[in-house]
Amino acid sequence: MNYWINHKGVQSGPVDLDGMKQMGLTDEAYVWREGLTDWVKITQLPELQGVYGMAGAPTTQQPAAQPEVPRQSETVTGQPYQQPAQPYQQPQYAGTQPAASEPCPPTNLVWAIITTVLCCIPTGIVAIVYALKVSRKYNEGDIEGAKRASETGAWWCIITIILGLLYVPLALMIKSFSMGMSM
Amino acid sequence: MRLRPLLIVLAAVLLLALGPIYFALDPSQSSVFPQCPYLELTGYKCPGCGSQRAFHALLHGDIAGSFRYNAMLFVAIPWICLCLYAESRRTRNPRLYARLNAPLLIWLFLAMVLIWWLLRNIFNW
Repeated sequence: MNYWINHKGVQSGPVDLDGMKQMGLTDEAYVWREGLTDWVKITQLPELQGVYGMAGAPTTQQPAAQPEVPRQSETVTGQPYQQPAQPYQQPQYAGTQPAASEPCPPTNLVWAIITTVLCCIPTGIVAIVYALKVSRKYNEGDIEGAKRASETGAWWCIITIILGLLYVPLALMIKSFSMGMSM
Repeated sequence: MRLRPLLIVLAAVLLLALGPIYFALDPSQSSVFPQCPYLELTGYKCPGCGSQRAFHALLHGDIAGSFRYNAMLFVAIPWICLCLYAESRRTRNPRLYARLNAPLLIWLFLAMVLIWWLLRNIFNW
């Protein structure tokens, strides 16, 4: 029986059981073999017990990225004995995203838009600019820069929300104060 | 990463607390609601100005009135819903997330906000 493997975003195969033992797979790997409609985690196939080790090797700085499991509907229909679509369209993105296995850090775009619309302070726009920065850096392959921009953008969202929330009681106080003065 | 739970809680509190209030009270009639601080400080409208009245109108089914108060909401609300959906499926479907967060789309949104901000102050929308 041959297996196809997606481990930390890198796809390989076909290999047999002995070959897999040589690969130093962890329990975060995804596998596919004939008879499966979709990729499954390596831990889900009982026959692969002992082929993989535990994740959490000290060398990795962050948890290995999960490859995208293709949506069921795409692979269930069609040719049953063909390998399902690749978890990532690697050839397509290979040029622009060197680290295709690494997911894009959060752009915080939703929060940026919500705060722009709701918080009455234009600083939400700064958060949108940072969302753009995250996305652009990620597409350039600068993952670290994208993460930094993501953090800064998140802070701008929080600042906008806090300022928006602080303003309400403050405005009420000022209003009631000035009303009291004029009476 | 550690910022995200805080962000989500803040946004949820904001949205949940304000929904019933905006349904019950009309911001254009009641003095309880704050004026836009930016408008008060500078005399110019910010991109979000009118969204309180627009929400009140929308919650009462008055779509035309809502559009008059803040037209940008009609782009922003569907966009927010789409983004929230993509956000909730970020690990399961990162391709959708990546597409919605493509630089070009964010650029378009940013440009729209800025143009809307400019035009509404020129034409007093």
